[in-house]
Amino acid sequence: MSYLDPTDIQGFALRGYNFPVARFLFLRFPDAKRGREFLSWTLGKITHGGHWPKDEKQCIRKPAVTHNIAFTYAGLAALGVPPASLQGFPVEFIQGMRARHKILGDIGKNAPEHWEPLWQGQPVHTWLATYAQEQQALADTQAAIEAHGAEIIGSQDAAKLVIDGARSEKEHFGFTDGFGNPDYLGMERHTQPGQGKIAPGNGWAPLATGELLLGYADEAGEWPVAPLPHLLANNGTFLVYRKLHQNVASFRAYMKERGRLYPGGEEKLLAKFVGRWPDGTPLELSPEREDPAIVKDDNRNVDFTYGKDLEGTRCPLSAHIRRTNPRDAFGFEGRLVNRRASVSRVRILGVPLNCSDRFCRSDPTSRDRQNLYLPQAHCRLRVRYPVRSSQRCK
Amino acid sequence: MANKNGNIYGLTILSPIKQDAAAPVSPSLELRKYLHELCAHERSPFARIRDVHMARLVVMDDVVFEGSPSHEEHLRYKYLVFEANFDGDLEPFLRKMLDAAREEVGQIWRHCEGFPGTADPDKFIEYMKKCQLETTFYFVDVNDKTVPQTLKALQTQSAVAAFIQKHQGATGGGLREAFRQFSKELAAAKTPHPASVRGREFTGQLV
Repeated sequence: MSYLDPTDIQGFALRGYNFPVARFLFLRFPDAKRGREFLSWTLGKITHGGHWPKDEKQCIRKPAVTHNIAFTYAGLAALGVPPASLQGFPVEFIQGMRARHKILGDIGKNAPEHWEPLWQGQPVHTWLATYAQEQQALADTQAAIEAHGAEIIGSQDAAKLVIDGARSEKEHFGFTDGFGNPDYLGMERHTQPGQGKIAPGNGWAPLATGELLLGYADEAGEWPVAPLPHLLANNGTFLVYRKLHQNVASFRAYMKERGRLYPGGEEKLLAKFVGRWPDGTPLELSPEREDPAIVKDDNRNVDFTYGKDLEGTRCPLSAHIRRTNPRDAFGFEGRLVNRRASVSRVRILGVPLNCSDRFCRSDPTSRDRQNLYLPQAHCRLRVRYPVRSSQRCK
Repeated sequence: MANKNGNIYGLTILSPIKQDAAAPVSPSLELRKYLHELCAHERSPFARIRDVHMARLVVMDDVVFEGSPSHEEHLRYKYLVFEANFDGDLEPFLRKMLDAAREEVGQIWRHCEGFPGTADPDKFIEYMKKCQLETTFYFVDVNDKTVPQTLKALQTQSAVAAFIQKHQGATGGGLREAFRQFSKELAAAKTPHPASVRGREFTGQLV
């Protein structure tokens, strides 16, 4: 592994962003010339993965706002990327999600004809994400973009859930988020026990860089398919943006009803669904109750395997965290799943919402309409997404 | 002495590029940007040195793993690769390079570990020698002719091709007279400026 240059890698791919508010803008370029002018203007504003400075107390000083960008195939073509380069992209990227909706499980009421109007007309060229500490920064970014020649054809605001007036780390089903943040070789980050892959013998090791970034060997010792010239692809990745509909009200009603019949009650049933207690305690480490000491301890809160729980008596086989990362459950020291590790680098955000208890039972707008926005980065769309989708649809 | 092929010197320099985790833009990216914007051909800083056959600057990120059974290895640093083929010997060339392109040399190598700057030519030469690798392959078009000889040959090739094209179908005394006049002009033409003539360009213009 050679030296990884964080200033050549977009920040959201390299760092675990944790900002309270975000706005995702979807842009089109009127023509190639204005598209390139817009890109030139944008370049200096993109947040890279370099160090964030520390203050006098050695605490990391997060920026007030971050900007990151991704292009669709149509967007790259609109910018005038030569056909010889365009043809080098993997077919999943060239075709896009609409053409591959059946493979991805986007059928029935999830089929493309039911997607939002933004996806029904001319193709989107660019996704521009702004994460910020304050709402005003989102508006400022949008105003600046509008003044620089790109047409905004859609936008989506997102925020952390607010509970009792405070911003929460919980997603809309009521579970604490932000534990899954894999380690990759070459990144400047202390390897957290339980992240990455199981090392031969004992312990954990970072995943191969090529699982996240183009231009590096992946877990199979291969280089992911990428266009030429190399500089177009190196240190880049593929971003998948999915907007998911959460049936929050149905989920709560179901849990309440079934919880009455379950020996451990509603709260334990919730934990069995996810594989963690609502506060984040992994069932595998504490099957009977929440344990705040484990949650707070980064050396313990993701450090577990399923090898001694193959029947799922502690953490069920169908629990969310076990399905998304089965660790060693399939044997072979986890090597079967190393290439499908979760790569969501940013906290899950949803529609801005206030409520007054940790399951949002008091949410006056409680309904099946809480949306999660999941920007995820990965080098091999074919390896990751059809598999994840087929698991979800089973 | 593999660095020399007849009168031609083959120079290969590999300078490790600095790693600065605190820099807002990494030294390798800064260097790549500078090289991208550096003028080429007639306006290249190397065209100011009349002895240079070719010069190339490349940022090498890593070595390529070509698959089993070769052993996978990686570099600890990114490297600036500087290759040049020129007439004569190393030290005089490096001094000329410093005289002709001090600003550019400073801007390029300032991103490299251990670079002593351009103020002291002896230190600069010592640094470049430390970074030198033995050259065993030369630019394919380089033979044992000097740069002026090569430029003159390219000029002749281009001019003769243009003459032939211009006089297609001509015969007899007129053609002979035209060729005599052409030969005279060609012999009197100045040697072209480095990089102003590239192989097989039918410009038909004598410099």
